[in-house]
Amino acid sequence: MVPKLTFAFVTVLATFSSVDALWPLPTSLSTGSTALRLTPQFDIQVDVKGAPSDLYEAVARTKTYLWTDKLERLVVGRGSEDATAISNAKYLSSLTISLADSAEVRSISEEAVDELESRDDSYTLSIPETGSDAVLKANSTLGLFRGLTTFSQLFYYYNGEVYTLEAPIQITDKPAYPYRGFMLDTSRNYFPVSDLERTLDAMSWVKINNFHWHVVDSQSFPLQIPGFTDLAEKGAYSASSIYSPSDVAHIISYAAARGIDVIVEIDTPGHTAIISEAHPEYVACAGSTPWASSANEPPAGQLRFTEPVVVNFTADLFTAVSKMFPSKFVSTGGDELNVNCYDQDSVTQGTLNKTGQTLEQALDSFTQATHGALAKAGKTPVVWEEMVLDHNVTLSNDTVVMVWISSENVAAVAQKGFKVVHSASDYFYLDCGAGGWVGSYPAGNSWCDPFKTWQRSYTFDPTANLTADESKLILGGQHLLWTEQSGPENLDPVVWPRAASSAELFWTGPALTNVTTALPRLHDVAFRMRQRGVNAISLQPLWCALRPGVCDLTA
Amino acid sequence: MFALKSFLILGAFPAGVLSLWPIPKSMDAGSTFLKLSSQFNISISLQSPPSDLLAAVETTMYYLKNDKLERLVVGRGAYDVQDVQDAKALSSLKLSLEEGAQVNSISTEAVKNIGTRSEEYQLHIPADGTAATLTANSTLGLFRGLTTFSQFWYQYDDQIYMISAPTIIQDTPAYPFRGFMLDTARNYFPPTDIIHTLDAMSWVKLNVFHWHVTDSQSFPLELAEFPELAQKGAYSSAAVYTPANVQNITTHAAAIGIDVMLEIDTPGHTTSISASHPEYMVCNQASPWSTYANEPPAGQLRFTDPAVVNFTTALFSAVAKTLPGSLVSTGGDELNINCYDDDAQTQAELKSSGLTLEESLSKFTQSTHGALIAEGKTPVVWEEMVLDHNVTLANDTIVMVWISSNDAASVAAKNYRIVQAPSDYFYLDCGAGEWIGDTPEATSWCDPFKTWQKAYTFDPLANLTDSQASLVLGGEQLLWTEQSSPNNLDSIVWPRAAASAEVFWTGATGPSGSPLNVTEALPRLHDIRFRMEQRGVKAIVLQPLWCALRPNACDLYA
Repeated sequence: MVPKLTFAFVTVLATFSSVDALWPLPTSLSTGSTALRLTPQFDIQVDVKGAPSDLYEAVARTKTYLWTDKLERLVVGRGSEDATAISNAKYLSSLTISLADSAEVRSISEEAVDELESRDDSYTLSIPETGSDAVLKANSTLGLFRGLTTFSQLFYYYNGEVYTLEAPIQITDKPAYPYRGFMLDTSRNYFPVSDLERTLDAMSWVKINNFHWHVVDSQSFPLQIPGFTDLAEKGAYSASSIYSPSDVAHIISYAAARGIDVIVEIDTPGHTAIISEAHPEYVACAGSTPWASSANEPPAGQLRFTEPVVVNFTADLFTAVSKMFPSKFVSTGGDELNVNCYDQDSVTQGTLNKTGQTLEQALDSFTQATHGALAKAGKTPVVWEEMVLDHNVTLSNDTVVMVWISSENVAAVAQKGFKVVHSASDYFYLDCGAGGWVGSYPAGNSWCDPFKTWQRSYTFDPTANLTADESKLILGGQHLLWTEQSGPENLDPVVWPRAASSAELFWTGPALTNVTTALPRLHDVAFRMRQRGVNAISLQPLWCALRPGVCDLTA
Repeated sequence: MFALKSFLILGAFPAGVLSLWPIPKSMDAGSTFLKLSSQFNISISLQSPPSDLLAAVETTMYYLKNDKLERLVVGRGAYDVQDVQDAKALSSLKLSLEEGAQVNSISTEAVKNIGTRSEEYQLHIPADGTAATLTANSTLGLFRGLTTFSQFWYQYDDQIYMISAPTIIQDTPAYPFRGFMLDTARNYFPPTDIIHTLDAMSWVKLNVFHWHVTDSQSFPLELAEFPELAQKGAYSSAAVYTPANVQNITTHAAAIGIDVMLEIDTPGHTTSISASHPEYMVCNQASPWSTYANEPPAGQLRFTDPAVVNFTTALFSAVAKTLPGSLVSTGGDELNINCYDDDAQTQAELKSSGLTLEESLSKFTQSTHGALIAEGKTPVVWEEMVLDHNVTLANDTIVMVWISSNDAASVAAKNYRIVQAPSDYFYLDCGAGEWIGDTPEATSWCDPFKTWQKAYTFDPLANLTDSQASLVLGGEQLLWTEQSSPNNLDSIVWPRAAASAEVFWTGATGPSGSPLNVTEALPRLHDIRFRMEQRGVKAIVLQPLWCALRPNACDLYA
């Protein structure tokens, strides 16, 4: 037993020094110890007939990053440590990228919004130590994009030279889970389009492939929807705090070109108080006080789903939203329904009396109508866990369920046979630990205290308490940012590099991850992000970042 | 009687003061709209106004025109259109000093001994458009008044206006020390970040920048007499504060009413000195670090060694000469005894001198403090120097309480002056999770996060007797930067650090005569946050904008 453990330890150390720049770690990797530098004329050759323009753009971005990242290696002495090795290094002049013979040539943007489980992110990358051409191959342009992302992380910079110390490099890579996401709430506080673009860039650097856009909520309705423009007109924070159809189209194409699908969520029937600005008659307990009796946070207000007019309105709303987003997924939300709100609402009670339905039956009719609209539009519905665990609603078998309240609830959802996206507040909520934000409450603490460190998220077990069959239902997972206490001012520091931890967990898979060896690589990611214009925070004093392992608990 | 009257006025027109932070000690505010005339100017009735006062006037004019803050109500600026249209126009603000007041620069006034600075001012803004007046006993007081004046104004559609004329303010700080501490050793902050932080501090009338400049991780302070310390101990040759940088920082600070209190933490927290002087260091980077230090790397000055005593004393003399202010901190926290117990040289020196470790520490401290006193400085120390060690300190030594707010009473019992810096209220870094590697389940040592509300409810005089109350000089919020860098400096500090700024400026009761309370404060804090954002500081949102536009609608029991 002891020798075996020792062997494992040695392997980890050997791996450790050779991959300190890559995130997420490729599923198969071998490296050498030969220095190799890029020629000043280094080029990326696209050997793909009829290559799409987004692939050429990805190549251009990769070439820019290679020369502008200017990341000196994180060791004492930084880049100067490598001066001698660089000066003796051979030159690499070209990377050739090509598709497998049988592959159909499509754009990255098309492939990024394919059915989730049919996307092919896999690629192989080979960089000989001799200086002869590096080769990147994939079955899809999406796979080529992932490989380019990896390639751009392999190189350091010193004194005008861009180099690696680890040639030859052989990588065969593909994700462990098809869903690797990040959720942003743009309702509690508004984020301009430029913030979303920067966030999408950062997501793509760590191979996150789904942007879960919690676009509206009770506080504001920034989404301008054709046919429903009064919602944003009256519900956005201001005329400039909206996402117009052209903004949305731009965000979608910006994301898709970076391998990211945009999953929009219109949270219903709760979290909809702001709809009352345009349609007060559709909303029960709108702005009622004390808010704490009718909602988990102010303002109170939920769709009166017992009313046929509200059912039709919401179903039509989802039809309209479906046309704006190419993704196969649309989320109808469904979390935190406050029953007291409906109990106190005379309109709701009157209708229930008349129809003889229970509230749950009415909720079921409502959900079937909204999900029916999505199905008609060719979409797969996504819901929060309560729709499965707390309510008695009929859902199609392919409905995707996001577990947020607790990671403990995953097993119960899986037992019902639904596909799961991990979004557990106890591991993945980026807003936890910032104290209470409700006013007049000095002793208030974050409801999901403590802060979820990158280490905490990184050590999440995606298949905990699941049988082998249930484990197949796990699509992946995501970090989430609810923005009661966030705005453009702290978006980057709250999200990065923390959200990269789930990106690696769900790409590389838990079997190959190790929190001890991950830290030096995560420092690398944070430095690269900062250089690329994202305000990722420092995880440790620089002293520690330059001395891998020395600031570990038992070092 | 005055208090009661003020209270009634406040009750009637709470909106009138939503824009001021810290809230003045005494204020009478009306509800008349008043706009700035397009010819508005600020005049100074002084024979030869100092240049930093002229600069402050210019800055105030800039903020008036560029804050562009629309009032935080549903409808924003549009809500006020009619009232603004009908408002009278204010064409000037006249600054003057009280008769007999000496005309010094703000910079001179700002670095006077703590407790002797005159920051009080009177501001009168009539409702009828006649000139507003600002008077004070010092240019520093005028600066505080200008700061207040600049916070009154909203903008909509090119009109700059206030909503609470007439306003009469008589303002003076409750405590002389209102600080903010930044650690520039765990991670480095370029001088521009410090300058920009000083600006934000001045907007909320903070007056001491406690600069924890060096620590075990790096030594960015470049000293002419000891060039090797930064040369070898800084993170890089670019990550240093040159003498010119330091001078620029202290000059900028003083001109905006801030004294710079430098700290060279000794004899612990000094590993970075080992890069140039390994011979001065005990348990230098010893492993496991947790046996010898509270965080990596281990390493402390060997204060039993006369060479180390001489070096450190000379270091403080050199540092003291570069600083215009009177306060210098020698640190003194978290001394690890184990480190000395295991060091053969320390033990040998103790044996030959016949001193105990504590006696030797006292000798070391008297030497470093002696050097400061010789340079006209007052030494400042962390609480352990008084509570955990047996060192002789001058009576006027200032003690910073950091471990727990409960420790202030013990320090007061020893009759030392106190700066309140307790981790349980004022540490801005708490609650961000553990940063030590290989600890997936660990939380921040001082968990949870200290919200502005928590800091705001700190009682500076808790558990002190009436006669001990005068020992409390004030307090500060602090940022230790293991998990911070230029990338999150603003967002982790602001607007939270404004909470203690008001606690220590306004004191226990506001202008209404009733105690400060978080419910009344929040709308004003939203206001100052928006103003900071407009002035280029990335202060974070405290709530959804929905709440910021509806004062108190998001309170716990609303």
